[in-house]
Amino acid sequence: MSSTLPYKLHGKSGPIRVALAGNPNSGKTSIFNALTGARQHVGNYPGVTVEKRIGSFKTDQAAFEVLDLPGTYSLSSFSPEERIAQDELIEGGHDVVVVVVDSTTLRRSLVFVAQVMQTDANLVLCMNMTDEADKAGQRIDLDQMQALLGFPVVQTVGHKGIGTDGLVRAIFAVAKTPSINHRLVLGERLETAIQEIRKRLEEAGRQSAGLDWVASRLLIDDRHFVDHFRNLDERGRFAVEEAEHQRRRIESETGRDISLFISERYYGFVDGLLGEVLQCRPRDDARALSNSVDKVLANRVLGLPIFAAVMYAIFWLTFTGGEPPMGWIESGFSALGGWISGWWPAGAESPLRSLLVDGVVGGVGGVIVFLPNILLLFFGLAVLEDTGYMARVAFLMDRVMHRFGLHGKSFVPMMTGFGCSIPGIMATRTLENERDRLTTMLVLPLMSCGARLPIWMLLIPAFFAPSWRAPMLFFIYAFGIVLAFVLALLLRKTVLRGKDAPFVMELPPYRMPTMRAVVLKMVERAWIYLRKAGTVILGISILMWFLTSYPKKDAYEVDARIAAGTVQMTRTEIQNARAAEDLRYSTAGRIGRFLEPAIRPLGFDWKIGTAMIGAFAAKEVFVSQMGIVHSLGKIDDESEGLREKLAREYSPLVGLSLMLFLLVSAPCMATIAVTRRESGRWKWALLQLGGLTAVAYIISLLVFQVGRLVG
Amino acid sequence: MTAKATHGTLTRALEDYLETIFRIMSSTPVARVRDIAHARDVRSASVTPALRRLSDMGLIDYARREYVTLTPTGEQEARRVYARHCVLTRFFSEVLQMPPDAAEREACAMEHTLSDDGMDRLVRFFEFLGACPDATPGFLEQFHQCSLVHDDVPPCPNPCPASNEKSRHLPRPRPSKTLFDLKPGEQGTVVQVNAHGGIRQRLLDMGILPQTRIRLDRVAPTGDPVWIELNGAQLALRRQEAETVVLEVS
Repeated sequence: MSSTLPYKLHGKSGPIRVALAGNPNSGKTSIFNALTGARQHVGNYPGVTVEKRIGSFKTDQAAFEVLDLPGTYSLSSFSPEERIAQDELIEGGHDVVVVVVDSTTLRRSLVFVAQVMQTDANLVLCMNMTDEADKAGQRIDLDQMQALLGFPVVQTVGHKGIGTDGLVRAIFAVAKTPSINHRLVLGERLETAIQEIRKRLEEAGRQSAGLDWVASRLLIDDRHFVDHFRNLDERGRFAVEEAEHQRRRIESETGRDISLFISERYYGFVDGLLGEVLQCRPRDDARALSNSVDKVLANRVLGLPIFAAVMYAIFWLTFTGGEPPMGWIESGFSALGGWISGWWPAGAESPLRSLLVDGVVGGVGGVIVFLPNILLLFFGLAVLEDTGYMARVAFLMDRVMHRFGLHGKSFVPMMTGFGCSIPGIMATRTLENERDRLTTMLVLPLMSCGARLPIWMLLIPAFFAPSWRAPMLFFIYAFGIVLAFVLALLLRKTVLRGKDAPFVMELPPYRMPTMRAVVLKMVERAWIYLRKAGTVILGISILMWFLTSYPKKDAYEVDARIAAGTVQMTRTEIQNARAAEDLRYSTAGRIGRFLEPAIRPLGFDWKIGTAMIGAFAAKEVFVSQMGIVHSLGKIDDESEGLREKLAREYSPLVGLSLMLFLLVSAPCMATIAVTRRESGRWKWALLQLGGLTAVAYIISLLVFQVGRLVG
Repeated sequence: MTAKATHGTLTRALEDYLETIFRIMSSTPVARVRDIAHARDVRSASVTPALRRLSDMGLIDYARREYVTLTPTGEQEARRVYARHCVLTRFFSEVLQMPPDAAEREACAMEHTLSDDGMDRLVRFFEFLGACPDATPGFLEQFHQCSLVHDDVPPCPNPCPASNEKSRHLPRPRPSKTLFDLKPGEQGTVVQVNAHGGIRQRLLDMGILPQTRIRLDRVAPTGDPVWIELNGAQLALRRQEAETVVLEVS
């Protein structure tokens, strides 16, 4: 049984289906990009690829469909990613499986290759990062390696696109003529056991593909497989019993437990192979440069202060560097609004004009204006990820994270949450333990996301002096982080009690990020933001415009009072008063007023309440909503900025209370939906929604009431 | 073997079932499926196919579904297996001084492979120990106090060739430390990984297994986690996990 393929290749229509498998940090995703040109995430942190990504490409001879499997260190189904990778390899029916390995860590990487060999996949081995291995002085006899393994071995440098053509040729070649894929024999003792279990599996009607792998999983007592066969039928149960016996035999004969025994056999195979093909070992000082950088960046004393400085610098850049382009966008949108207004004769009342200018241009413009900030923040985070610094941060931060019931690896999803909670929550899949994952997911919306940045950009300058603005932004972010820790600890002490997951994380060498990868990542994330601006926020802006404009009032109290002669007013004042009455009368105003008694103790009026309704749909809507709510009271051309308006209407204490409430309270609808999807239960999503809102209420209440007493 | 003569081979799993039934029947007249499942630590549904096979071989009476009794052939076969089990357990615990549960496990594994002849000789050896008037009295006690059997017993003043042999083959134990106890820059060779379950598997997957050389590079600000290097790759490990890895420091 050397090359049994479970699926027919010849004469079948459709593209050649290729799966990419490999360790995290093997550059698998950059190979995926080089093959398909797909725009997606390429990180230097273990486990960035957590989603199922599919791309495609064509050559003169054939069309290919490529699936990027999650990066895993083994197929031991220890984490959800390993389970996905294993299921795809056994049951995915891929025509070709490309295993991507980091050429600088061959010993460990080839153990993974050995496991994939047992699944009887039609293999191509892609030795990636050969430039680094070359530099370290490693030389491999490729012909010998191909001969010993029985399938093609290709050398590549993924992020530079070197070797991609050769890889495509190899994929096409094995798709046409399946590789020999020598059956992996891991010593006589293990071989006997696997053969015996295979016999039982064949009796149980199991197809021959991947039988070695299934047998070794039964032998190692993998609950997933054991339960499957136990519940299958009596023949399945015999296979399980046979595996139990073989396991006991091996353990008593060798004095080792089965998992150690099998691991040793894998390493034995790899060492044997490397002995044959390694012409030159890599030098010991291959990582010298990276190591000396770590002497500073991962230093026991300097590490954390440097990290804090790096984060502060990124926020400072976001705030200061974004200012000029924001001005250009702002004036662009106001020119657009003026141009659209020009379609109607001056002074004419038109609901359509109001909808376009105030609703659409005002709403969407108010969101897009923050694009420069978002691009800068995402650029900074992408650089941190791609250099490998994020992994150091996880190392430095783990103790603190762990103390609060989180995991060093929680740190990266949480950092991603600064961009947007949604990819952050999705990135929690890199956590192996479900409790760690849930805890991280539930508190993650406290990381002030990109959508909340516009809110801070609006409110902070409105209420605080220029010299206080950067520290205030830092405070808001820091407050979110601290509160996240406290709530995480609370969760781990109550609903999510249990044992910790192991912390075994790879620290890849520092790598110079390529501009292309960083920009792609930045654009990809910014695109998510813009798409939201174009869809959800456009819709919400129109809806909110409608809610704030209708129903219309027929007669105004102010007119009645003037008619009665009780007050004297200028034209402007009269129109202001009418507009205010209009808003109070509108649907949004009614909802806001209905909520007012509840939010009054926090210092909020019904206008803020009205804007917060929009903020639940998407946080940044708060800004455009505040704009619409307040601009309705504006009638002359003497343009008064929203910030000045706010500064006049509310005290800085209300501003602070408001910012804290918006930071902590109910995350947006999309976040709730993603939490539901990722946690698999409405229970967790609703806990997140209700819990965070309750906490926000308490905090704002305390801040406002205590602040008022203190003065 | 007798069972071979009837129908098909008696596998180890089936021998274990037979033995279980025999043990249950020594205290009650019949064995219930539930009791068998309980004794074997499996679900009742898992027992059924094995019982059906034993029944097909004519070793048990399994017609009434709920109760099981041994046929005369079955009882003979079960006694054979059970006797081996008892003899082996005694040998490992009384002669070789293994803890009772470990002796039991060894016996479980060996009872299926021990030949009739081997069994016979072992039984005679026991008889000799208990009954032979010419055997040197107390020699078994001497054996139990010998440094060859127990590492914590000091070598006897009258060294025998065997104990010299032992000291030649077993290297003098080097000072061992856990991975967490290493100082930055210090290296060691893994001798043991004491973690269990998923953690153990993950450590093995990352290449932390006996014979591997590991160097501790640095520690995090509070000393935990630790940063190690092995096989040219660098990993971070928390105290909890690092303490399960025992190293021989070179």
